[in-house]
Amino acid sequence: MTRSIILAAVLLFAILLSLMIGQVMLSPATLWAGLSTGQGPAALTIRVLRGPGIATAVGAGAVLGLSGTIFQILLRNPLAAPDVMGFTSGAGLAVIFGVMAGLALPTPVLAALGGSAAAIVVAVLSLRRDGSQTTITLILVGLGVGFFTAAAGSFILTRLPPQEAAEAQRWLSGSLAARNWGHVAQVFGVGAVLTLVLVIQSRSLALLELGDDLAKGLGLRADRAKWGLSATGVLLAATGVAVAGPVPFVALMAGPLGARVTRARHPAARLAAAAVTGATITVLADLAARASIPGLQLPVGVMTGIFGAPYLLWLLAREIETGDL
Amino acid sequence: MRAATGLALVFGVAVFLTLAVGVRTASLAEIWNALVAFDPANATHVTIQSIRLPRLVAGLIAGASLGVAGTVMQALTRNPLADPGLLGVNSGASFAIVLGALIFGRSDAGLMSALAFPGAALASIAVFALGGGLRGETGHVRLALAGTALNALLLSLVSAIVMARSETLEVFRFWVAGSLSQASQRPLSAMALVTIVGIGLSLALAPRIEALSLGSALARGLGTRPARIQLGALAAVTLMTGAAVSVAGPIAFLGLMVPPLARRICGHALRLELIASAMLGASILLLADTAGRLVLAPAEVRVGIMTALIGTPVFIWIARRLKPGAAS
Repeated sequence: MTRSIILAAVLLFAILLSLMIGQVMLSPATLWAGLSTGQGPAALTIRVLRGPGIATAVGAGAVLGLSGTIFQILLRNPLAAPDVMGFTSGAGLAVIFGVMAGLALPTPVLAALGGSAAAIVVAVLSLRRDGSQTTITLILVGLGVGFFTAAAGSFILTRLPPQEAAEAQRWLSGSLAARNWGHVAQVFGVGAVLTLVLVIQSRSLALLELGDDLAKGLGLRADRAKWGLSATGVLLAATGVAVAGPVPFVALMAGPLGARVTRARHPAARLAAAAVTGATITVLADLAARASIPGLQLPVGVMTGIFGAPYLLWLLAREIETGDL
Repeated sequence: MRAATGLALVFGVAVFLTLAVGVRTASLAEIWNALVAFDPANATHVTIQSIRLPRLVAGLIAGASLGVAGTVMQALTRNPLADPGLLGVNSGASFAIVLGALIFGRSDAGLMSALAFPGAALASIAVFALGGGLRGETGHVRLALAGTALNALLLSLVSAIVMARSETLEVFRFWVAGSLSQASQRPLSAMALVTIVGIGLSLALAPRIEALSLGSALARGLGTRPARIQLGALAAVTLMTGAAVSVAGPIAFLGLMVPPLARRICGHALRLELIASAMLGASILLLADTAGRLVLAPAEVRVGIMTALIGTPVFIWIARRLKPGAAS
């Protein structure tokens, strides 16, 4: 319990730190005055400049964390995250394509379509001839699909004029620049609905974690439950991509780190910890992206790449020791 | 013999198309005249000499280098997913060049290009250390994932540096995905020399690499020293990858596609495979580049994107064929 409180406190601290630091520094006192009275320069910074970006980071990080943990539990592999398996870049490609082709569909719908398409392609291509499927093949094929969608994204960007292409390129690496409260409402609104769906499914997830045979023995229709959970996972990831672009490594890191801090075992507790951890990672990465180079805002995805890739390498090094891979 | 003729034909077509196709289409006679009887007043001649010829040379250097480097890496690790691009060796070279430009300021391309070699060497040592070593027992999947992670890290750092220097999108794209469009500004003759040394070293080591692939113990029994050969092969890969990145930026998937094709053409004889890899690599790169210039004309799709679009289906195809227990 105390460990869960620590996790939440870290998120709160990250949010406050992120509100204070930027081109204009706010002291804790100014921040407090702005927060409590809603007046003065701090209130403006919070309401217009930093607030929407940070709130979007919290929402996007949380849904990505949930999505990653669903797949990590379902496939029983810490590498099985939607960003490793190409689902998020599929969602990102669909958004870019939709915007360029002038499709009159809202961004979350485009992201959901792209993410689902990528997931289906990965699932079908990793089927063996005898109908079986291994997690390793799934991850490798997912990597390949991710490489392809990334290249296809760059391919269609070639047609844009340089200014717009630069903007789209930033978005494709995951960016929280120029977010407004509409994005915040979107990620929290859609995210809340999907979280509710996930809560309803959480019993199935807990059963599936015990193994397919045991779950079936306990009366679960395992295949149907897996499809349902995968759909929820893909849609959660797409919700994050719709507001923040395909930010890499957040979905991969959030679950294991959250479980490590809280020592949570039960799937529901791991999901909750992953949501908070994902939000914390994204807020801190956004802060680093804004503050590391004066006068320049890097895309948040560059920072999650710099933090997240060493995590993946560490994960591999550890798996070599334990012989899990 | 038929395979060799076919390969030579494809290579010839690739070279011809690179020189002939573009805004001004040139005939074979015009190309010949532009090369032997250059007329500065003839716009087609100028285009060929100043734009397409450097592009051809850069394509030959990068294509041959990456093709041979891929075959050497796959023979060494017996891993069909080994490719200088996928394993992060390209990104290591790219990162070192960009970092050098950041630290030393804008100076000449030749000096910066020298940094590609330590960058590529460090990246290849890192990826093999993290991916489970150079021995045959390297996990296929582990090595590929270690490469993906290293790539993500290095390319994120490249992005950060390029954006911090407020470079143009064109520069960013060059150092992240590779292109032949800046060929005339790259140090072509020096890198051509490095490529030749790298390919020569690979050819010299080929029989011993083959002996190594029989297994370390057997290779030692045959009088070879595994560590030395691995070091030599890594040096060759570093030289070739560094040269390729210096002239064309980091181009992925070429080293993945070429080795299985080369094996299909000449069977299991590593020296022949290496020669075929050089020609195949150059041919595929030049054809992909020509296709990239045509497909969305007048806009130009960078060759690194074209090779990724062709190469990712190959990657998925290889991934599907790995046996479930093939991780070890």
